[in-house]
Amino acid sequence: MRNFEFFEPTTIEDASALLTKYNGKAKLLAGGTDLIIEMKARTATPEYVISLEKIPELADITYDEESGLRIGALTKLRTLEKDSIIRERYTALAEGAGEVGGVQIRHLATIGGNISHGSPAADTAAPLLVLGAQVRIASADGERTVPIELFFLGPGQTVLETGEIVTAFECPPRSANEGSQYIKQKIREVMDLAFVGVASSAKSDNGTVSEVKIGLAAVAPTPLRATDAEAMINGNSLTPELLEQAAAAASAQSSPISDLRCSAEHRREMVGVLTRRTLQAAAALAQG
Amino acid sequence: MKKHPVSLTVNTDTYDLLIEPRKTLLATLRDTIGLTGTKEGCSTGDCGACTVIVDGKAVTSCMMLGVSANGKEITTVEGLASRDQLHPIQQAFIDKGGYQCGFCTPGFIVASKAYLDENPNATEAEIRHALGNNICRCTGYTKIIEAVMSAAEAMRNA
Amino acid sequence: MSEYAVLGKRVPRVDALEKVTGAAQYGGDVHLPGMLHGKFVRSKHPHAKILNIDTSEAEKLPGVRAIITQDDVESGRRVFASDKVLYLGEPIAAVAATDPDIAEEAADLIQIDYEVLPAVQDVMEAIQPDAPRLHSDDTKDGPARRAISTVLRKLERDNSQDHSAEIAELNAQLETIEGEVYYNISAETHSASGDVEQGFAESDLVVEDTYVIPRVHQTYMEPHVSVADVESTGKVTVWASTQGPFAIRSGIAGTLGIPLNQINVIPTTMGGGFGGRFGVVLTHVPAVLLSQKTGRPVKIQMTREEEFTDGRPAPGCVIKLKTGVKNDGTILAREGLAFWDSGSISGASIGSTIRLRGVYKFPHLKVDAYGVYTNKSGTAAYRAPGTPQVAFAGESQLDEIARKLNLDPVEFRLKNMRVTGDPVPAGPKEPKVGYKETLQAVADAVDWKNRTKGPNQGWGVAIGDWTNGCGPGGMFVSIHEDGSARIFHGSIDITGTDTALAQIVAEILTLPYEDVTISRGDTDSAPYATGSGGSVVTFTMGNTAKLAAEDTQRRLLELASERLNTEVESLELKDGRVSTIVGDPPKSIGFGELAAYSLSTTGGPIVGKGSFARKPSTPALAAQIAKVEIDPETGRIKVLKMASSQDVGFAINPMAVEGQIEGGTVQGYAWATMEEMQYDKKGNVNPGFVDYRVPTSADLPTVESVIVEVEAPDGPFGAKGVGEPPITPTLATMANAVTDAVGIRITELPMKPEKVVAALHGNGK
Ligand SMILES: Cc1cc2nc3c(=O)[nH]c(=O)nc-3n(C[C@H](O)[C@H](O)[C@H](O)COP(=O)(O)OP(=O)(O)OC[C@H]3O[C@@H](n4cnc5c(N)ncnc54)[C@H](O)[C@@H]3O)c2cc1C
Ligand code: FES
Ligand code: FES
Repeated sequence: MRNFEFFEPTTIEDASALLTKYNGKAKLLAGGTDLIIEMKARTATPEYVISLEKIPELADITYDEESGLRIGALTKLRTLEKDSIIRERYTALAEGAGEVGGVQIRHLATIGGNISHGSPAADTAAPLLVLGAQVRIASADGERTVPIELFFLGPGQTVLETGEIVTAFECPPRSANEGSQYIKQKIREVMDLAFVGVASSAKSDNGTVSEVKIGLAAVAPTPLRATDAEAMINGNSLTPELLEQAAAAASAQSSPISDLRCSAEHRREMVGVLTRRTLQAAAALAQG
Repeated sequence: MKKHPVSLTVNTDTYDLLIEPRKTLLATLRDTIGLTGTKEGCSTGDCGACTVIVDGKAVTSCMMLGVSANGKEITTVEGLASRDQLHPIQQAFIDKGGYQCGFCTPGFIVASKAYLDENPNATEAEIRHALGNNICRCTGYTKIIEAVMSAAEAMRNA
Repeated sequence: MSEYAVLGKRVPRVDALEKVTGAAQYGGDVHLPGMLHGKFVRSKHPHAKILNIDTSEAEKLPGVRAIITQDDVESGRRVFASDKVLYLGEPIAAVAATDPDIAEEAADLIQIDYEVLPAVQDVMEAIQPDAPRLHSDDTKDGPARRAISTVLRKLERDNSQDHSAEIAELNAQLETIEGEVYYNISAETHSASGDVEQGFAESDLVVEDTYVIPRVHQTYMEPHVSVADVESTGKVTVWASTQGPFAIRSGIAGTLGIPLNQINVIPTTMGGGFGGRFGVVLTHVPAVLLSQKTGRPVKIQMTREEEFTDGRPAPGCVIKLKTGVKNDGTILAREGLAFWDSGSISGASIGSTIRLRGVYKFPHLKVDAYGVYTNKSGTAAYRAPGTPQVAFAGESQLDEIARKLNLDPVEFRLKNMRVTGDPVPAGPKEPKVGYKETLQAVADAVDWKNRTKGPNQGWGVAIGDWTNGCGPGGMFVSIHEDGSARIFHGSIDITGTDTALAQIVAEILTLPYEDVTISRGDTDSAPYATGSGGSVVTFTMGNTAKLAAEDTQRRLLELASERLNTEVESLELKDGRVSTIVGDPPKSIGFGELAAYSLSTTGGPIVGKGSFARKPSTPALAAQIAKVEIDPETGRIKVLKMASSQDVGFAINPMAVEGQIEGGTVQGYAWATMEEMQYDKKGNVNPGFVDYRVPTSADLPTVESVIVEVEAPDGPFGAKGVGEPPITPTLATMANAVTDAVGIRITELPMKPEKVVAALHGNGK
């Protein structure tokens, strides 16, 4: 690893000011499980590293029936995975968080880091997409909110500008007749990066489903919603035929590449399989 | 480059150190403090050989900076046994044959301790899943899992 | 085996305490005052000429103490690439600095100019005439050309009569054989018995297939490391985590031209080896060179990434296999042609290709094998080197035959297995073997006859054989004045062999296990011991321990006979004393008293010596049965049950034996389902645990081990080598189970989900 100067600011303003001051030469450090890997490989050689750990307001999870869920960016994935409200109402997110690495990694890794890193394969991305998350972003100049759909620009690229820090993720409240699930295609049971990740969320309305959202990971330059498939299903009952059509539509909307992990064809096929499975599971959870 | 003062507690002893920010907690424990029981098998967070407990949570110490451990309490494999008694998990690894080359063993024992503290009634499936951040290449895991299961029982009955 | 007091018992290992408390000292734990840290500069291309090496920037970095290249190797032996690099990651230079991060920074600053050459990564491409060539003098005839050429050479040499017509005819035939000159060949081996053409002609069914097995890494958990300290006198001390300290000593001596008595190799505790930790040049030689140059101790520790790019993994191979059988399931003939991917250095496990004969009768057998150079790192042994690969081919094909003939795969194998005294195809007669017993044992363990399965579930069975190696070893056993005993030797304990040695000595000397301690010397102090690979240790050092203990016993008896005024013949060892066998009144004296007596008289310390070279070893079989479930949509394979039996001759410590069976089986499972070093034109593309997957505890159920004991006539107390056999069947076990579950036959490993799904769609390989 190259040497660097280390800072531990205690406010968002100070952290943002440091980022701006060392424009381009500084990196934020959350759990470090992406950044330290890159620094060891010398694919990242920041001269200044700014730890977010000492900023207290970044770490809370709050929920109320009115305003919904707020997850501080520094929340550990292990905390998310075990949180009872998230498990019950935002199931896909608990599952996505629980799919990252292993227990020791999840004790370090944060949700803010998972998303800010900009990996199309990030395991919390598809869940946040289907749970309607808004990304709260702060800088010395103020705050802004970006829907998660618009946050990712390409592999490793996000809308974050110099001096900006992700502070929290906010999801609308969810009722008992909504369900969600995340499944990832992998080889090993744990400690595998997603070949494909699919999350679905649905609300149950007297035999039909509504507010259907499908999120796809690792099958395009950014995580994305399978909007065509969603539109087909909304307001209908989930017949096997409709599920097949939706799965095919989700596959068609993905644009995967072939790489050392697997071929584009396999990824596209898995999008279909996992779309069908997660939709069924989400709908089943929604019916209670 | 500026070295940072870091004060941390390792297995009840407090150390006041001056370290380069680029040194990981693993390097700090092994090279600066001289506690070499914690092992380096990959340095990328994948193998769990470097597992230590930081403020009650098992982490891969190769994935954490030494400066980030400032003010924290750390338990390593050297801190588990008392003068005259092994930790029940250590004893179970001996009784059940839960190690061969032993390189993964400190990481497995420390990860198991943290996990059983959190979930004393863990099932075999839960243990197999929770120890997934640790790789053992020698044992095929059968005897490791037997050891952790039997230690859990011993700890419940203690 | 209740006749023994200590042998055959599940005693805790002698190194138990240090292993569970973190006290054990591995190579990386050695820290010397003033120690420097070494790092390599490695090739960025798989095949390129080196035009220039510029170290000037690196030299300026504060903390850098030395930079070495091939120019610093006075002996001229290849330690670094100097003219041409042959694989991505090949070392070109090494740096020593006061801190590992500084050494890494300096290595990054060294500028290498290359002329990039075309590279070849695939064995079947490498043998083609238009393939890039790694070395000169590398062409060989394929089997058909070779058959003709052999006759040609004979005729040409025979001056007794005129063969010119036949010679012309044969030369014309040679012309017609296309694609049979192979390029990039590093080695070849050929064996045959009977007449395969006749065998196939007599067969009712002939099955032919090509099997592709990937290169995999041993993935011992401790990466290569060494610490070298060269004194001003030139004396070299190396702390090495290795399977063979004496091999490392002679390797360093040979590479650098240093006399053996100027090199001391101190073996540290070793974090796994599996055959991959005999290498001399990877870290030991460069560390010595850097220490010679700086006059300071130097540590070189490879990273996991370096392990993948510059380790010496197990070779992948392509095997073309043909087997002929009668309709009643009698196997008649087998012909195999294998191409082993040697990487850039000759040395792949090609000799194991003959194990395509398995433990079956095969009246007709022909096996041809070639090692092939490719632009990859060289290869080394990995647990039963070469055998898992050939057993995958052989046992998959037998399974296909059993399916085609509608035969029970266990019965079919049992029917064709060799038994004691049967001729081994292209080999000698079988000694005392227990092949059938071993397969039957695992079948019984899972109640094979009554097996059931649900949808997408299947059962697979396969076997693999291995004969442990053997080598020289020496050992001392001393008796202390309190009657306890100590063993001193120089062989490396990987699998719990020290424990087995202590058990053997305790048994013979009638001491409690706790009263026998064991220590290991370095190469300066300990008697020579063969390297710990090839399952040799229990066999070799076990026999050595037996000799040393018997020598000690003899000395104790002599001394006791003096002290008790009794004939040696009427004395025996019992409970740590020497006593009269019968006698009125009974007489008896403790070992401690005898040791003290011997010290104070002319005898001196009681030291028994064992020196052993070799004895015939006996083949051992491993047999496995797996039950799997396939998710036909995602292609994921789940193991529901895994049972593994093995003939170990005699289980000196059943707990250690089970550990070997369980560990080897899981390594085989991993090779079958997930492990694969992947290469593209630029070289290895998965040099880390993210994309080189090894299984975790979450992937597997409990492995049920079944110990079979068919005594080895020359093994210590009947024991055979245990470490290697359990990995041999699993590749085929898993493939056969997948076939039974969903009807597809995968011949190209690993069976990643994508491959399973593709096969289910009918595009399988
Ligand atoms: C062994 C291992 C296994 C892994 N397995 C998985 C897996 O299965 N699935 C998966 O999705 N990921 C996996 N990862 C990747 C990683 O753990 C996650 O992406 C993790 O959530 C990153 O969070 P972090 O807090 O550690 O981020 P860091 O490494 O601290 O930061 C990551 C990046 O985000 C930036 N950043 C961090 N926080 C903020 C913020 N609040 N605002 C703006 N920028 C910020 C940093 O500057 C950095 O560039 C694995 C990593 C390892 C080492
Ligand atoms: S060394 Fe830290 S996880 Fe492998
Ligand atoms: S005991 Fe060797 S890696 Fe686990």
